[in-house]
Amino acid sequence: MHLTDEEMIQKAYGESENLASVEEHLRGCRECADNFAELERDLTGLDRVTAPERDAHYGERVWASIAPSLPAYGPLYASGSKSAERRWWANGLWKGLGYAAACALLVACAFYAGQRWEERKQQPVAQVDHKTPQAKQPIVVVVLDDHLDRSERFLVELKHADMDSAAMASPMRAEAQSLLAANRVCQKNVAQSNDPGLTTALDHLDRLLAEAANEPGGLNANSIAKLQDEMNADGLLFEVRVLRSRITHQKRPGSDPAKGGTI
Amino acid sequence: MIRMDKNDHAAIQAVLAGDKEAYGALVVRHSHSLFRVAYRITGNEADAEDVVQEAFLRGYRKLEGFESRANFSTWIYRIAVHCALDRVRHRRGDETNWAGRVGETNDPEQDQLQVPDQAAGPDRLVLSGEIGSMQETALRSLTATERTAFVLRHMEDRTTAEIGAALGIEPNAAKQAVFRAVQKLRRRLAPLRVAT
Repeated sequence: MHLTDEEMIQKAYGESENLASVEEHLRGCRECADNFAELERDLTGLDRVTAPERDAHYGERVWASIAPSLPAYGPLYASGSKSAERRWWANGLWKGLGYAAACALLVACAFYAGQRWEERKQQPVAQVDHKTPQAKQPIVVVVLDDHLDRSERFLVELKHADMDSAAMASPMRAEAQSLLAANRVCQKNVAQSNDPGLTTALDHLDRLLAEAANEPGGLNANSIAKLQDEMNADGLLFEVRVLRSRITHQKRPGSDPAKGGTI
Repeated sequence: MIRMDKNDHAAIQAVLAGDKEAYGALVVRHSHSLFRVAYRITGNEADAEDVVQEAFLRGYRKLEGFESRANFSTWIYRIAVHCALDRVRHRRGDETNWAGRVGETNDPEQDQLQVPDQAAGPDRLVLSGEIGSMQETALRSLTATERTAFVLRHMEDRTTAEIGAALGIEPNAAKQAVFRAVQKLRRRLAPLRVAT
């Protein structure tokens, strides 16, 4: 029985499991000896595949090419399993701290974002509460509208007053006094509104009411005629009606301004 | 500045203690042997140089796991073999003509038919110095594992156990890989044998 390829290859590489038996067979078997010699020649021929030589500085070039990309090990990387434990612990600690910091940052961001969102949500309400002119405007308008309404009726009465009727003169004077006080309040409020037309009208009204309220000896035919002349000269009734129509329109947006006026 | 006055273990300790430059001594000391085995496995100078660099880079990153009782030379050698093997496998995936001219079949007749330049006369082969090229072609016909196993056994004088350790396979599987490699090479180089 001849040697197998495996046995001959093992022999060629000096790894025969039973070297003595193989060598004895080779000495006694010409065919196997020839095959083994041929195998050795083939393997020897394969030695021609040799690596090209590198020069003496090759290692330094290799080091120079990789050194920049290598981070230095820290002191914690000293030898031994204890260092490994310390390293693991240190890594774990830093990782834990990192996660904690990230969580804290996340919570802080969420809190800040929530606050901002609440502020934006509440902002319109705050504007209504704190912006004085806009907040007070509806109240002022209502009061002014009422005052102009009373003033208009007073002026209409004054326009059509019976100069010979003393019975009318007394209530008109009292009404003038009442309107004069209200007019002063409205003047103060309107002075802050930067409305020149309204301010002028209230000034005219103030002069007329003051004369009516403070006419020495009370209203009589002469004083009424005089007031009528002043009222007509200033176009005060028309002016008050226009203002009242405008104020009524401001009070009820979308309503027809013409509806507010009556003659 | 590379220091050469430290043995491998001392250099490793220095590296792990933070002295990165100490690794340079290890690189200088073992680069030539790594290049040689890398070239024999890859069959290509450029690839071999890349393998050497990659092996030392991998070695540096794994250095903390290096057992102090082990031999750095053997350890980095195995890493280089792995790198070379990976490169050959990757290259075979990318290049169909790397071994494709010869193929990887166990059919002896088909293998012989696929040997390149078989029609060329033996005299011409000898005279033109193409024998080495033909041997290299024959080596390239092997699988990556077979070639690596053969290189380690035949050219690097590594034992079967060492080959198995380097390739991450059982020693018996390493032995079988060497056998298959030798058989394939002999079949491919048979025409050359007749000519000489």
